[in-house]
Amino acid sequence: MYAYYVRLALKSFGRNRGLTALMLGAIALGIAVCIMTMTVYHAMSGNPIWWKNDRLYAVTMDNWDPIRPERPQYPDLPPAQLTYKDGVYLLGSNIPERKVLMYARQSVLTGGAAQRKPLPVSTRVTTSDFFSMFDVPFLYGGGWDSSGDQNALPVIVLSKEQNEKLFGGINSVGRTIRWDDHEFRVVGVLDAWSPTPRFYDLNNGAFSTPDDVYIPFGWTRTLEQYPNGGDTSCWRPEKLDTFADFLGSDCVWTQMWVELPNRASRERMQALMDGYWAEQRKAGRFPRPRDNRLTNVGQWLKDQGVVQNDNRLLVGIAFAFLTVCLLNTVGILLAKFLNAAPIAGVRRALGASRRQIFIQHIIEVGVLAAAGALLGLGLGALGLWGVHALYVTNSQVDTVADLTGGYQQLTHFDPISVIWAVVLAVVSALAAGLYPAWRIGRVAPAVYLKSQ
Amino acid sequence: MSLDIRPVVSSLLRNRTGAVLVAFQIAIALAVLVNAVFIVHQRIEKMGRPTRIDDANLFGIQIAEFTSRFNYDASMHEDLAYLRSLPGVVSASVSNSIPLGISGSATTVWTQPDSKGQRAQINYFSMDEQGLNTLGVPLLAGRAFRATEILPPVTLTDTSKFVPQLIVTQVVAQHLFPHDSALGKTVYDSRGNPATIIGIIDNMIGTGWGGYEGIDQVAIMPQLPRLYGFDYLVRTEPGKRNAIMRTVEEHLSTSNPDRVIKSVRSVEYYKKLLYRDDRNMGVFLITVTALLLAIASLGIFGLATFNVSARTKQIGTRRAVGARRGDIVRYFMVENGLITTAGILVGCALALGIGYWLSLQYQLPRLDLYYLVGGVLGLWIIGQLAAWQPARRASTVSPSVATRTV
Repeated sequence: MYAYYVRLALKSFGRNRGLTALMLGAIALGIAVCIMTMTVYHAMSGNPIWWKNDRLYAVTMDNWDPIRPERPQYPDLPPAQLTYKDGVYLLGSNIPERKVLMYARQSVLTGGAAQRKPLPVSTRVTTSDFFSMFDVPFLYGGGWDSSGDQNALPVIVLSKEQNEKLFGGINSVGRTIRWDDHEFRVVGVLDAWSPTPRFYDLNNGAFSTPDDVYIPFGWTRTLEQYPNGGDTSCWRPEKLDTFADFLGSDCVWTQMWVELPNRASRERMQALMDGYWAEQRKAGRFPRPRDNRLTNVGQWLKDQGVVQNDNRLLVGIAFAFLTVCLLNTVGILLAKFLNAAPIAGVRRALGASRRQIFIQHIIEVGVLAAAGALLGLGLGALGLWGVHALYVTNSQVDTVADLTGGYQQLTHFDPISVIWAVVLAVVSALAAGLYPAWRIGRVAPAVYLKSQ
Repeated sequence: MSLDIRPVVSSLLRNRTGAVLVAFQIAIALAVLVNAVFIVHQRIEKMGRPTRIDDANLFGIQIAEFTSRFNYDASMHEDLAYLRSLPGVVSASVSNSIPLGISGSATTVWTQPDSKGQRAQINYFSMDEQGLNTLGVPLLAGRAFRATEILPPVTLTDTSKFVPQLIVTQVVAQHLFPHDSALGKTVYDSRGNPATIIGIIDNMIGTGWGGYEGIDQVAIMPQLPRLYGFDYLVRTEPGKRNAIMRTVEEHLSTSNPDRVIKSVRSVEYYKKLLYRDDRNMGVFLITVTALLLAIASLGIFGLATFNVSARTKQIGTRRAVGARRGDIVRYFMVENGLITTAGILVGCALALGIGYWLSLQYQLPRLDLYYLVGGVLGLWIIGQLAAWQPARRASTVSPSVATRTV
């Protein structure tokens, strides 16, 4: 019976090729545009470490200028980074299960076996918990221990890509390499890891690729160099004539994250920050109202404006587009079904129930929807490829983490989007077909029998 | 001439569904069209904003020093002498950042010491005496820096110091000293260090790292950069940029083993990156809007075609009792006109509503009504065009159809 209905549907498509093509095209286009915008939006708004959303918290304290916020576009937010001294103080606490204090630097690697020329890289100078806290996968070796948080341990972790450039992808653990002309021993090589958005440091673009290499935070004092790889922001007119002045200043340039397993530990951490804040305020710091925050990853991405307004707008337009496509389909289906009303009339007269007529037509719609979904998926993939091309034109892959790198992740055709698209196609096309199929089921058979 | 609207209306009312569906398509199409065109127009204006520098003939070289052997003074002297000696190079300067690029520095100045008076946030370039000429930004008043005024780079022991002289863009000058010329006036940094404004330049576009707002609030400082890294900026004669970039990259990447050339890129590359999202948004909006209009007009066409074929007999009858071809065409055009107009009325409300919501939500300017008028006219014409062919076909129905099957 259903197979027969499917055959009838195919026959009916053959009768009105132009109209069928128009409907198919409209459904497919509507779905393709939705897939494209949803995929990009999904990647932008996704939480790349959702399984730790109730454990990971960004630490921020508002140490800014009493008369104006750090970022005028976010007047209600504290600076996204901490001062060195506040970060180091909080790092001393053992309330968090894990804690990370870090910043980015630009540096140069030399002495790799497979790399002749000096290689400019982005370096993350970080405390040791970085890898376990953010669930960073290792291909070879591992990180370093917490003695690197204070001391300049000459150990380095390479990203998978850099290990390929420097050592041709072999297990390079134990090899030495020169980082900014200091000798380092490779202790670990990461596996492919590219959280999108790059939640742990949004400074150099939320969609840029992760850092190339990682060295212990203890190097900060030894190096005596300004952090030239991220954002350093100062407001207080204070003396800044030595590196120690800089480390003790109210300039913000370090990022801090903590892992707090439960509510109690979160409250204790908050209390620690508030207590420290009060003490420092007595000493003349923190002139703004108290605003010490522990922000989970999902909220962090929202607060810091990772999803751009343009993308929200595009999703809205995509759905308006789909609506027009569906209205179009409803109109054509209605016209098409009513055009064939005499046939339905005869079938009714021969004993088909309203239900059966309805089912017959809804199956026709279903076949159309399935074909439209398939076509839409194809078009969507094509469209994403186009979006990708738009983003990478004229921005050849860089040696240093580039703004464009992460957009490859954004335009990946992820399985969730595919499922979404199919569901969207079938549900929306069926919704579009319900009314016409119902209408045709209501025709009075007698009218059509009369004029034959 | 009467348009005979009454029979058209009564027939429409009897067969509402199809017409309502088309009207809604038109409404949504109008709302999207008007707002999309408005947004695209803003983006095009933004991308077309003059940079006020010679961006077509400029390129930047990003340098990274990485050994303690690196001799900053000697290296800079040698590199700049090399760059300036190349045929086709107009001028070259060291700079802390590349204009239109993604990284840069900013500071705040006040018209009075102790952070008092008018305040301006400025995006600054630390350059040498060839800086202005290299950028190619017009000097509106005052003078450029002299070679003797260029300070050595900030080091870890004098980070608190400020430069004694500044060149600022006109927008900064007017903001700081709204009532009179800023030339020769003194401004102060947050520590109260004074600097004299010795030149005013056109409103050039600075660096994009701090957002696009206030991107032309730029100052040039007479100081060599180093603390946060440094770049070279080279201005060439028209048409010679790419060849010179290749030569320079080859020479510089081997001339000194204690530093590395991170990139050699045209300022046009950075410009593209700066406006990339705007350009892509524009491309996407135009594509989707064009598709939307195409789908909506196909919908109008489809409905009209269906109406014509469903009413063949009625048309034949009208023709048989004396209606001319023109009357038949007019009937369908009027019908389409009525549906389109209804859609447009709803669409206007929708367009204004969305425009208002967008202006609240995304701090966009309010929708300009000219766009709405344009959109209404455009959609009306599209509607009539889409109905034209079916209406013409209807008029070719022979009067004899009326008698055939009765």
